[in-house]
Amino acid sequence: MSSQTPQAIRRVPFGTFVHARSGDKGGNANVGLWVGQIPEPDKRAQRIAWLLGFVTPQRIRELLPETVDLSVECHPLANLGGVNVVIEGILGEGVAASTRFDPQAKALGEWIRSRLVDIPEELL
Amino acid sequence: MLADESSDEVPALRIANCSGFYGDRLSAMREMLDGGPIDVITGDYLAELTMLILGKDQLRDASLGYARTFLAQLADCLVDALDRGVRIVANAGGLNPFGLAKRIDELAAGLGVDVTVGVIDGDNLTSRAEELGFPGALTANAYLGAFGIARALDAGAHVVVTGRVTDASVVVGPGIWHHRWTESDLDQLAGAVVAGHIIECGTQATGGNFSGFLDLPRDAHPLGFPIAELRSDGSSVITKHPGTGGMATLDTVTAQLFYEIQGRQYLNPDVSTDLGSIQLADAGPDRVLVHGVKGSKPPERLKVATNTLGGYRNQMEFVLVGLDIEAKEAWLRAQLEWALSDRPPSEIIWTRGPLPQSDADSEEGAACLLRCVVKDPDADVVGKPFTAAGVELALASYPGFTLTAPPGRPSPFGVYRPAYVDRDQVVERVTVGGREL
Repeated sequence: MSSQTPQAIRRVPFGTFVHARSGDKGGNANVGLWVGQIPEPDKRAQRIAWLLGFVTPQRIRELLPETVDLSVECHPLANLGGVNVVIEGILGEGVAASTRFDPQAKALGEWIRSRLVDIPEELL
Repeated sequence: MLADESSDEVPALRIANCSGFYGDRLSAMREMLDGGPIDVITGDYLAELTMLILGKDQLRDASLGYARTFLAQLADCLVDALDRGVRIVANAGGLNPFGLAKRIDELAAGLGVDVTVGVIDGDNLTSRAEELGFPGALTANAYLGAFGIARALDAGAHVVVTGRVTDASVVVGPGIWHHRWTESDLDQLAGAVVAGHIIECGTQATGGNFSGFLDLPRDAHPLGFPIAELRSDGSSVITKHPGTGGMATLDTVTAQLFYEIQGRQYLNPDVSTDLGSIQLADAGPDRVLVHGVKGSKPPERLKVATNTLGGYRNQMEFVLVGLDIEAKEAWLRAQLEWALSDRPPSEIIWTRGPLPQSDADSEEGAACLLRCVVKDPDADVVGKPFTAAGVELALASYPGFTLTAPPGRPSPFGVYRPAYVDRDQVVERVTVGGREL
């Protein structure tokens, strides 16, 4: 019966417990997303499992509409509690040529952390 | 190799970083030298973009092409570093490591000290760019590994300056020198690469650019630069000098581990590192243990950083305020593009920020910015003809026309492209005290 109970979710900023760091490599950007340390290791493990399932190329394209036509790769690094996302070509021909207003994608991580996502209540 | 640190025979090597990019805090070398015991000071001065900046410097003056701030740091610190037996390793040589070495010799002579300078080069493939398949490259530099640095330290170099080595190599090299690792010690090398990756970007490992910044003290105190205590098994403790700003925690270190990586394998000329094998552990206040790192054989080919001159760019930023923003934008765009239509730049890129709120109670709240970037192979096309076309609309366009800044001159821009070459195409050269090893 309990498995039929809909999971309570809340719509909160992605960065509520997810950290990020982003940067550039040529015309590509990378965004590392991981779950920060908390005193309860079990809860952190649950958050990590949720994050690794949540972050897919499709989800990145939803959260960052600028990437909708770009190739996105997600590389899980469970040992670090997160996933590295590589977005190909978002910076055009690289930092010096890019006309993006954040040409090195330094703040891409903070943007994605500010997007609202549905997170199971029990993880919050 | 003994796993138990307490029975480690060779003490850990304390490797400090004092620069994460060309332009980082000038006082950092002095801070690392005076803030507590260290054995080696390292610095990374060469971002992808920096090679282009140095290339432009060298076009202007062939004796330049190195990171000049490193020389300023040495002017302050060289005597004390020599006194305390602290070695210095930096990739500040850029495109002209011998030019930098000459300056260091002159500096030492002026300071009345004897210094042995090591130089690592052979990375610069620019003169062979055509033959190797990257035509038109303004700069082309193979990423070198760490063993040359270790040989230079072994031969007694107090200061080692390199061309384009990988960012981690300035840390791995001293590790090889101190712990006598060989090419087959892949796990140790991989551990050192991870330590190098963590500290190569300076304060990004100690709370800079950190999404968990609300946990930091956040006072005005400058963030301390990082230190890796590198052990003989390749494990390390990431720390910082006592009393400096910021923190070294599992989260600040994890943040840097995620910086500028691609997939699970992190490739270096000496070892491929499995990022999935890294284990972190809390080792006390401002101390993070990094261990368990696994390495495997390095890639067959070496990566090459190439920069070509892409052309020239210029831009103007228009302010749109109040009502009918979209109509204002459309009219301006039509006017400016018509004014440029005799000789249009090869690219005209318009971007507008979000529409302002209605009924805003401040002028800025009622405003948004419209940016026009132009690019062309010919500097003249994006110079006066572009800026004049914009300025001439000042009294002749949408109501409230204003620019955020007077338009500037065209600036050249580069295009970075990674390339790959066979190892036998690159001959690393190690020169110590003017003598090639």
